Amino acid sequence: MPKGLRLLIIKEVKDLLRDPKILIGMILFPALILPLMGAAINISTGSLIEKSSGPLTVYVLDEDRGEIAKRIIESLRDQGVLVRLVDGPYEEAIRDIGSGGILVILPEGLSQRIESGNRGEVLVYYGFKDFSILESLNAQRMTGLLNEIESRLVRDLISENIPGTDPDSVINPLSVDEKSVIKGVAQPISPYVLTNIVRMQGLMGPLVIMIVLILAMQVAATSIAIEKEAKTLETLLTIPVSRLNILFGKLVGSVTIALLATVANVFAFTYYIGAITSQATSSIGNLDLASIGLIPPPEGYFLLGLTLFGALVSALALALTLGTLSQDVRGAQSIIGVVIVPIFLPTIFLMMGDMQTLPLSIQAVLYAIPFTYPVLASQSLITGNYGPILAGLVYMAFFTLFTLYVAAKVFTTEKVMTGRISLKRRKL
Amino acid sequence: MAKVIVVRDLVKQYPGRRALDGITFEVEEGEIFGLIGPNGAGKTTTLRILATIIKPTSGYVEICGKDVLREGNEVRKIISYLPEEAGAYSNLSGLEYLRFMASFYYDDDEKIKCAIEDAIAISGLGDRLKEKTSNYSKGMRRRLLLARTLMVKPRLAILDEPTSGLDVTHAYHLRRVIKSYSKDHGTTVLISSHNMLEVEYLCDRVALIDQGKIIETGSPEYLKSKYSAVNLEETFMKVVGFAQGS
Repeated sequence: MPKGLRLLIIKEVKDLLRDPKILIGMILFPALILPLMGAAINISTGSLIEKSSGPLTVYVLDEDRGEIAKRIIESLRDQGVLVRLVDGPYEEAIRDIGSGGILVILPEGLSQRIESGNRGEVLVYYGFKDFSILESLNAQRMTGLLNEIESRLVRDLISENIPGTDPDSVINPLSVDEKSVIKGVAQPISPYVLTNIVRMQGLMGPLVIMIVLILAMQVAATSIAIEKEAKTLETLLTIPVSRLNILFGKLVGSVTIALLATVANVFAFTYYIGAITSQATSSIGNLDLASIGLIPPPEGYFLLGLTLFGALVSALALALTLGTLSQDVRGAQSIIGVVIVPIFLPTIFLMMGDMQTLPLSIQAVLYAIPFTYPVLASQSLITGNYGPILAGLVYMAFFTLFTLYVAAKVFTTEKVMTGRISLKRRKL
Repeated sequence: MAKVIVVRDLVKQYPGRRALDGITFEVEEGEIFGLIGPNGAGKTTTLRILATIIKPTSGYVEICGKDVLREGNEVRKIISYLPEEAGAYSNLSGLEYLRFMASFYYDDDEKIKCAIEDAIAISGLGDRLKEKTSNYSKGMRRRLLLARTLMVKPRLAILDEPTSGLDVTHAYHLRRVIKSYSKDHGTTVLISSHNMLEVEYLCDRVALIDQGKIIETGSPEYLKSKYSAVNLEETFMKVVGFAQGS
């Protein structure tokens, strides 16, 4: 590596890392704030779950006093519910249930109706005061309990009315065993669980790519704009180092900072997602995609690396050019704010859907955006659909060379000092 | 004496504005040569062309026998430029900044160390050099930048308004440094200023520039005597008056 380039990279990394805007805004803030948010959500949901997992108190007004009513009350007790029997008119009972309280009314004649083969009605009242999540969770728990009670009743009635029959075979006469066929091999996993897990894992790739590209562009544009704003660029252009080395010093320095920021962001984001979804996904568990034949092949990673490298270099060259032609840091950031739209557009479109299901016009727009290909390459790790990526690589190579050429042209001519672009000009 | 700068028929045309309109001058080795004139006269444009930052529309510029247009990389090794509105990297200390800059000129650690020692002496900033440059006052930053310009012992130092906006103390320090450094090291200095008294104190010869043209050249004493003026300021006004009247 030429000495001048090495010096510029070291200076660039040192200068940027010491810049509070970069260090705090891009690295420390996300590294701390997201885990803090995750921890806060985790603590609050944890205490909520702890509170809502305690015994549920249910007030029961038994106006029926028959056999079925007795069974319902016993079933509730069997499931750990604290049953409080109440008397008196139901209006009074309703008034007394309070926040999060539940009142079950078993009306007169309930047992008789069910025993004579008719549907019986159970009335349930849920008390709401502050509309908290706890009140809602209590209601959900009660609904689950009632379903279970109904299921038990059904089993009992089947056993009593059709002696010697397995109630389950009457309720669910079909036993469905779902398997997913992946690359010609049947895997013991339901298609819903599989697609959910693949989709969750497929989200991370595009998100990380989007974060790297956006951060790198912001760092690059800001670093050159700072140089302009602090009036250090003019001096830098007169020292014995080639202009291309100055350009590459900025490129490498920005990538280094962007990667550091990405590590911080991904770590923080993973922790945040993990924290807020730990309760929700515990039932699904972690599935190792490799164990069901979805091992990304080396060529997939190679293509992803290639597209990511091309996207990174072209995004940085673009950012440096725009940063150089901006008046100051604020101007550079405004322009980058507009330019990053094509970066998050493919991620947003492809994160939730497939390219094939999008309207043709949107597909055409996405294929025209060079930053789409790393996202496609990330998805192809699982799907193995490399066709569009190989074609896109040629397009990306041209785009990358073009942006590098423009950046080099700006840096090696006096445009680096005299060039100006501004978003304000359009308003004139 | 050898000619360090040769400028012939230099023209710089910007869209809708002719910044330089065929200027010609020469500077000899060891001279302190001043370009003086009002704001917008073309001083900074001339200096930027000599410092390889911008290119002229036409004309010829040579520094120490090297064509500035064709041998920009070689020229950058023998010049050192102090822009009018220069800054230092605010997140580096003064010493880190000096080391960073010196490392582009020397490979040998010993020479880098010597250059930094020279810069410490030139700047007179002492222990303040260990602080981040963001803590420096404008005067301190200018001292640091002048030290950076001179520490690499350039054959030609190009100084654009070196004392502009500084208080008397800092301006006095800088003028003394420039004068003594040039004398001690035989360094050629091209200086631009609109402060005529400063130029009179510093320069061996001056060129009066107005509206992109050099309207008079000579030593301050010669020009004052030729136009019967008490100082360069009066000389300039008389010359501009003549030029506009002619």
